[in-house]
Amino acid sequence: MPMKITQEIRDNTVILTLDGELDASSSVILDEELSDPEIMKYTMVLVNCQNLNYISSAGLGVFISHLQRFEDAQIRLIFYNMQDKVRNVFEILGLDLLMTIVSDYEEARSIANE
Amino acid sequence: MLKAGRETSYSAVANQKTDTRFMLYKNNAKTLLATTTVVSWLLLLIYVLLTAESKLAGSKAPGFAYPFISNFLTVVFIVSVFLFQRLHTEMLKGIDFIGYLWNLFSKAGVAAYLSVALYLVYRVYINYIDEQYTLLLHVVYQINFGLLVLFLAKAFYIWRQLLLHHKNKFLQIAWDWFELLLGGILLLTLFNFKYTSYVFLPLLALMGFYILFLCTNLKWVAYLTFSNKSRSLVLLGAILLSCYIFIRFFYNMADNEQLTVDYTDVGFLLLAMLFVGLYTLAAFLVSLFSLPTSSVFEQKSEDLLNFQRLSLSIQQGQSEAQVYDMLVDSTIKASDASAAWFEVIRNSDPQVTHLLNITEAQVKSIRHLLQAYNIHNMDYINNNLGRNPGFRGLGLPWKSMAILPIKSTKHLSGVLYLLKDVEGGFDHETVNVLRTFTSQTTLTIENLRLVNESLQNERYKEELKIATQVQESLNPKTFPTDSWFEISTHSVAAKEVGGDFYDFLQLSESRIAIIIGDVSGKGISAAFHMAQMKGIFHGLMQQDMAPSEFMKQANSALSRCLERTSFITSSLYIIDYRMKGFMFARAGHCHTLYYNSMMDDVFYFKTDGLGLGILRDDKAYAGHIREMYYDYNPGDVMVIYTDGIVEARSPQNEEYGEDRLLYMLKQTYHLEADDIKYAIINDVNDFTGPDNVYDDQTLLVIKFRPTQQNT
Repeated sequence: MPMKITQEIRDNTVILTLDGELDASSSVILDEELSDPEIMKYTMVLVNCQNLNYISSAGLGVFISHLQRFEDAQIRLIFYNMQDKVRNVFEILGLDLLMTIVSDYEEARSIANE
Repeated sequence: MLKAGRETSYSAVANQKTDTRFMLYKNNAKTLLATTTVVSWLLLLIYVLLTAESKLAGSKAPGFAYPFISNFLTVVFIVSVFLFQRLHTEMLKGIDFIGYLWNLFSKAGVAAYLSVALYLVYRVYINYIDEQYTLLLHVVYQINFGLLVLFLAKAFYIWRQLLLHHKNKFLQIAWDWFELLLGGILLLTLFNFKYTSYVFLPLLALMGFYILFLCTNLKWVAYLTFSNKSRSLVLLGAILLSCYIFIRFFYNMADNEQLTVDYTDVGFLLLAMLFVGLYTLAAFLVSLFSLPTSSVFEQKSEDLLNFQRLSLSIQQGQSEAQVYDMLVDSTIKASDASAAWFEVIRNSDPQVTHLLNITEAQVKSIRHLLQAYNIHNMDYINNNLGRNPGFRGLGLPWKSMAILPIKSTKHLSGVLYLLKDVEGGFDHETVNVLRTFTSQTTLTIENLRLVNESLQNERYKEELKIATQVQESLNPKTFPTDSWFEISTHSVAAKEVGGDFYDFLQLSESRIAIIIGDVSGKGISAAFHMAQMKGIFHGLMQQDMAPSEFMKQANSALSRCLERTSFITSSLYIIDYRMKGFMFARAGHCHTLYYNSMMDDVFYFKTDGLGLGILRDDKAYAGHIREMYYDYNPGDVMVIYTDGIVEARSPQNEEYGEDRLLYMLKQTYHLEADDIKYAIINDVNDFTGPDNVYDDQTLLVIKFRPTQQNT
């Protein structure tokens, strides 16, 4: 199933909704999306993982590669609505301690407003 | 091979021999015939002069008149000339029809003009000396007779060559009979029958029809191009004139009282002339009437050739640019366009590559107009541009236009624009031909791309093969065997090579280090990082350090060389047999599955630990790595694996998962390490189904044996 990424802007936030499987080929699209210089204008990037069924190491690599850049630009990267099996992949790799993964959109918003 | 080659060369030599023998025979026959010709003609001349002399002498009873001799000599002369020409023209081969006609005209047709010139000279001379000179008239008549026979023989056999072009068996038989019948008619002359007698008239009429039938075989005319046809018309006209001159001359002379012989009596000559004349006339008329259509046929055959060239271009390894060259060239010719341009679409950006009789500025203005009308890269024919106010406004000289995109179902590779300065320039037929060209080009371009892609694929496959070889050579083939533990390993590379690896190092007599890992990414880069990781493992472990320290240093080393999107997960175990325990650290790698025989429990070591190369700051990383020490009991089982095992997919797209793996160990922990491994692998394979390995799968099963007393 090919990956579908939709982008939505709310105030100072970019919301990316991932739909499908993030494998080697679809992670290229995600990388393009995250490399967009427009994104640097916002203070938050929320990633809705509700329909993200699978993430490969290439997909993880894309998030990892942008993590430092976002931190340097003081942009918060927050994942929410993540399925258990995907969350498990993040946890095994130890990414849950580096990245902010919350249960839903409201929680993500409240963290952002801190 | 050598033998066959020799045989063919033998037969070639043999052929050559028969050829030369045949040539010799032919040359001899030709010399003989030529001599006969000259001798018989001279004898005939002498005979005619003698009879004329005796007639002139005035004796009422002709003292010297043996018509049989004259007829015999005439027949011998005719036969030898015809046979000579028969042998001679057989050497003419090939389809250079203009060459045949030129040969006929220059060597035989000229004879008529010569005979006319000769007769005129004779007349002038007679006028000049102002007296009848019968003997000289006879000489002129005889010479002209010789020229006539030469002309007829040459024309007869050259027409035979052309008539029999693309012959079938029936035509060959028909011709052979024609020759035989003509020969038979020659016998009439020999026995001095009057062919005009009513007995032979129906026969002659039949022969006439036969000749008419033969004259319909004019296939060679179709092979002439337009310019060749016009040239052949001139030559045929000149040959026709030759026929006319001869006919007129001999029929005029037939009534001449002074002459003793009259060759119009020879039925053979009449029929031969009828054939030559009719065939020439038929060829002339057919050429004339097919003249307007010949350019069409030429265009069609050229179109065919161009199609062929287009479809051959893949085999000849031509580039896209060359294919477009061919397309533009062929379509301009096929449509007789007065102006044209071609755009190659690169990244949906048109680039003009070919221009004919049109400037860039004009192209730009037309394209603007088309965009305004929303005609963009689509199939479009307009045969009346003058009616369009927008186009009229541009003030360009063209009146019809065809736009032909080179487009497969999903890819637009180029657009061809053709312009003509007449209205209705692109009729149905032309457009059909043009479309055939463009679809052939589309096919060719598509095929070229496919060929390139498969080459690329081939290279990629080669790369994978290398990566697989590297991976295989990096994983150790044998593990150390010892009395206190057994170890069983399994490793399968996926079709697309991942980056699984494992290795071990004997640190001291009682301590062994085991590492397992997975490099993100695939192919040659993954294999390269694996090799690097292996180097780091062997390099650092020489210094015998704790697993957490190893991970910190490995992270520091990898941070300097891994690209940003790559990372490595790894677990390192140092098993100490003397202490009966092991130390380990997990850097983002799969949790270790463990069976504790004392508690009879199967569980995962759920420790924290971040993958290598993710946090590139040494101090920050130090906070993300944990070390654990665990005492083992005899009979304990440790299962170490990569994500290829737990993320293996069933056809229903479910994951194998940690739970199922744990359940498997629960069922099998009492078995030997090898059997535990096989049980797990079989279960994974049952789960995924055959041929369904998408990621590398690596599995290590370590079972601790009960202590033996002697160690």
